[in-house]
Amino acid sequence: MKNEHFSAYEELLLKSFDVALSAREQERLSLLMQNEPTLRRQSDQYLKIRDMMLRIEPDTFGPFFAERIMNQLKQRVNEIDYLIFFFFKKYQVLALGVLVALLITNLLLTDQLTLKSLFGVDQQTTEDILSIDLYKNLIEHP
Amino acid sequence: MEQPTDEVLIGKSNAGDTAAFKMLVIRHEGKVAGVIKSMLGDVSEAEDVGQEVFIRFYDALGKFRGESQVSTYLVRIAINLSLNELKRRKRAASRYTSIEAAAGKGSENMMDLKEQLNYEFGRLDPEFQAVASLRLIDGYSTVETAEILEIPLGTVLSRLARAQQKLRMALSKKLK
Repeated sequence: MKNEHFSAYEELLLKSFDVALSAREQERLSLLMQNEPTLRRQSDQYLKIRDMMLRIEPDTFGPFFAERIMNQLKQRVNEIDYLIFFFFKKYQVLALGVLVALLITNLLLTDQLTLKSLFGVDQQTTEDILSIDLYKNLIEHP
Repeated sequence: MEQPTDEVLIGKSNAGDTAAFKMLVIRHEGKVAGVIKSMLGDVSEAEDVGQEVFIRFYDALGKFRGESQVSTYLVRIAINLSLNELKRRKRAASRYTSIEAAAGKGSENMMDLKEQLNYEFGRLDPEFQAVASLRLIDGYSTVETAEILEIPLGTVLSRLARAQQKLRMALSKKLK
């Protein structure tokens, strides 16, 4: 057997393990197998390798793999909850800061610390309230 | 009692039934483990990759349209993550090539045929490993292998041939 043809024969042999050969290819391979002891030896070697690989036992990841996955998913959900909690907590702190700043500003401007002064209610004059009432009446009864 | 189908379990998992998802994990663990361990070996990273496969599957449950079988879908993720792991290993190993070569050379003669087959399989290119693992170890047909890896059938056959050639040549002394 010449070396340059050898690889093609080997390819044909390997192909025969995985797909159905055409009648012509099958005939060619049978002939080669009869006449070429090297190819027969290779065929035995390939079959041995394939048999060994096929007999590798089905694997698992060991006991309680599913439980470990479920724990990991649960842990991840907890982490997300934790992140959401802290994300909103950050804004809660910010809102509290704004409220305190408003209180201080009001305290400095009005010199008193009451809920009314905080919202500027005590700074409303009677005229202001009446003008709002008048505006509302105008809109409702043009 | 009749076992619920994968589709039913996916529907329940989507509705928040964690027991249904756990049943899917138990049902498909063997197939996923087989693929990953045949590519990475029985190492601790194999389980990490296995966990990642199922977590990705969990995240994609809502998008799973059932166009392919659950096992095919999981095996595809397992192959892709194993390939990533092999590439990562290769990068890390290239820093220690000389040490590994020195250690490997001496120990090859001490191995029995089965051990050396595992060793040589681990030395194949990742693309060859993926094909050989699905076809020769997990028993998928060549058509199924092509579908899982999303490559042409001709590529499967040529990679399979190359992988087997390399294995035979590496093991030729012990196969006599």
